[in-house]
Amino acid sequence: MKPVLVTQLARFGDLVQTKRLLLGLRATGRAVYLLVDASLERLARLLYPWLDVHVINAHSPPDPLALRRALEDLSGKGFHRVYNLNFSGLNMATSTLFDPDIVRGYKLDQGQPVRDPWTGMALRWTGNRRLGALNLEDFWAGFVWPMAPGPEVNPDAVPKGGGLGVAMAGRHARRSLPPDMLASVVQAMLPMLDTPKIYLLGTAAERSAARELTVRLPPRVADTVVDLTGRTGWQELADTVAGLDRVLTPDTGVMHLAAHLGVPVTATFLSSAWCHETGPYGRGHTVWQAVHECAPCLESAPCPCGQACLEPFRRREFLRLVGGLEGGRFAGDPPPGLTGYHTDFDALGVTCKAFTGQDPGRGERLRVRGFIARHLGIEAGHAVPVAPDLAETLLADPDFMLHKHQTLLEIL
Amino acid sequence: MNRSLRVLVVLPLYGGSLPIGRYCRNALASLGHAVETFEAPDFYGAFSALKGLRVTAERLDYLEQAFLQVVAQGVLAKAETFQPDLILAMAQAPLTRQVLKRLRQAGIPSVMWFVEDFRLFTYWESFAQYYDAFAVIQKEPLLSRLEGIGQKNALYLPLAADPDFHKPLTLTSVEKRQYGADLAFLGAGYPNRRVAFRELMEFGLKIWGSDWEGDEALSSRVQRGGERISPTDAVKIFNATAVNLNLHSSVTARELVSGGDFVNPRTFELAMCGAFQLVDERTLLPELFAPGELATFTDMAGLKESIRHFLAAPEERRAFAERARERALKEHTYQARMRALLSFLEDRLEGWPKPRQEGGAIETLPEAYRSEARELLATLGLTESAPFKDLVWALRAKAGKLTPVETAILFLDEWQKQYGTKQD
Repeated sequence: MKPVLVTQLARFGDLVQTKRLLLGLRATGRAVYLLVDASLERLARLLYPWLDVHVINAHSPPDPLALRRALEDLSGKGFHRVYNLNFSGLNMATSTLFDPDIVRGYKLDQGQPVRDPWTGMALRWTGNRRLGALNLEDFWAGFVWPMAPGPEVNPDAVPKGGGLGVAMAGRHARRSLPPDMLASVVQAMLPMLDTPKIYLLGTAAERSAARELTVRLPPRVADTVVDLTGRTGWQELADTVAGLDRVLTPDTGVMHLAAHLGVPVTATFLSSAWCHETGPYGRGHTVWQAVHECAPCLESAPCPCGQACLEPFRRREFLRLVGGLEGGRFAGDPPPGLTGYHTDFDALGVTCKAFTGQDPGRGERLRVRGFIARHLGIEAGHAVPVAPDLAETLLADPDFMLHKHQTLLEIL
Repeated sequence: MNRSLRVLVVLPLYGGSLPIGRYCRNALASLGHAVETFEAPDFYGAFSALKGLRVTAERLDYLEQAFLQVVAQGVLAKAETFQPDLILAMAQAPLTRQVLKRLRQAGIPSVMWFVEDFRLFTYWESFAQYYDAFAVIQKEPLLSRLEGIGQKNALYLPLAADPDFHKPLTLTSVEKRQYGADLAFLGAGYPNRRVAFRELMEFGLKIWGSDWEGDEALSSRVQRGGERISPTDAVKIFNATAVNLNLHSSVTARELVSGGDFVNPRTFELAMCGAFQLVDERTLLPELFAPGELATFTDMAGLKESIRHFLAAPEERRAFAERARERALKEHTYQARMRALLSFLEDRLEGWPKPRQEGGAIETLPEAYRSEARELLATLGLTESAPFKDLVWALRAKAGKLTPVETAILFLDEWQKQYGTKQD
């Protein structure tokens, strides 16, 4: 059988979130190749030792000769399908190496950027991100039918006894708690740990934030801190995270790595981060989601609300709740504008279910998930009433008026 | 024009200016310009289908107009993406006034080559002013009238032929029988021709082309049931015919030989093919061909006399044809016309073409790619000095899978766009 290729040229978190798709492809019995940015090669091999990993420099200056060699190598593989996952110029350019007929996702065909109907539908439901109902990992998995079983993608999250990992920041600053707030949250979570040890995780760019956090902790707590920012390679990071009781993190690659390893996550989602889209994948994680009217916002646009979504994370009610997770001991309601979610699964994939706070969007989310499930041919979708209004919004006229390739019903 | 340009050629949905648009495209490309074509003929099938709806006339009008708006928006979208230095619109190009205004706002100059008789196709009166320049195949009074309605950049640009296409052919004996005749005419059945040709039955006239329906006297002479003749077959017919009759059209039959001004494309194409023609005198003909280069007539009596004479004088025919071809090759190619047009625009349009910001393809690319890039440029019909942007555009437009080097060039281009750094 001819092999298949997945082109994932985005970042750390995206690579981890490609797992369900890759597992679905592996289940077809075909050899699976993965093309990633060179900086992620080691990580890709760690995460997916059964894959044939190829690299190009997508985010650092490309070496022209190495680029050419890499493309020549891929060009000769005779792929049956190429899954090009990201809507970027680099991905579009890479797609030209293959016959357009075999490329799914995004491609350039005779100068015309083209996307699959499935990708087009995703763009429509993310048009109103508040309704964002499908985790990115499940969306990518939807390129292959049948999808790999969601609950089998990552192990259920269980504390491993090695203390607390704290991811210092995501790539987007506004999504992260500043060190002073983070210090309060860390202290609130200490009672949950088997081992009073705190590992600060991140790149060298987060080292000053790590120092500031440490300074703000009481001396007895600060003494337990191991600052690993900028000091770990992929292997050391994975080894460290694999042994932790819990990881406190915004929406980061470290969060997805913890989920991959079955380490419980306590995630703080605010600003542009939306847990229903990019929350941790697996059972047993907790997400604290800011749910202000303006959430989720656009990271690149200035915030007109004075970053109001940060405030609930300062409040005592939140600090009481975030420390009382273990054994289901919850103390009171969360502050206004914050909802606590636990992750679980339905027939479509991972879900975030509110255990405290308001979740007014739940009904609509379930309707959207039902529609998507029906669209993917998942039987459980038929338990949800049909939704002509959603069909009108999520399907474009050309999707059913024209004979378009339906990736979703292809059996590899 | 020393530097290469990006030119978008907008073809009409169909009609006589369509092949001319393609010749212009080829000529511009052969001059080293990066040419993109808006293939309006691809939309013609869908447009024609509207007529099969059997709806009210008002509804059909609305639908046709709405359809053409979509096509015009397609031209605009292509222009916004391709960012040409120039849009060359052929007569009947589907460009609405609204789209022409948008192009002007966007700073993309447009020129129409109006290869029609202004007395018959009067839409120029409302459209000409929206183009930055307007090339025509007639002189006065059209040039003054254009100036009168605000079109200051009107240019007389006679038609031409494409020497790569309109050329002498060696035909097989079967082809000679199939396409040949002592006397033949290729063209549409305009009134003056219908009446005139009744007088030529004795010469074994063959008529090729469309719009000859309902003429019993000529029906036996009309070839292939009056179907449209492809440009390729036209060249074979020209080559296989002893005396090619070239009578310019007129919508009235009052004067069979009208003595009008413009010179039709057939005149140039026959000359370029090295085929002998008898053409009616036009006021603009003497400056294009000298008396010894083309055999002409001014009335029906003269035409019949010339037919008799030349049918019996093959050497004389050959001498005329050779001289005509020589002149055509020297002065009447589409390459020459495009050069003249671009030179005119450079002279008239202030600040045109805009100075190029980016470097040439070769110097922009890493050393390791340069030798292949040179070959690529040649294959793609681009000069060695073509800007990197043009190479990228041409590669993106290629069908099917690209080679690793081609993909690598596109990748490097996208990397530069994303990270804003030039690669050594």
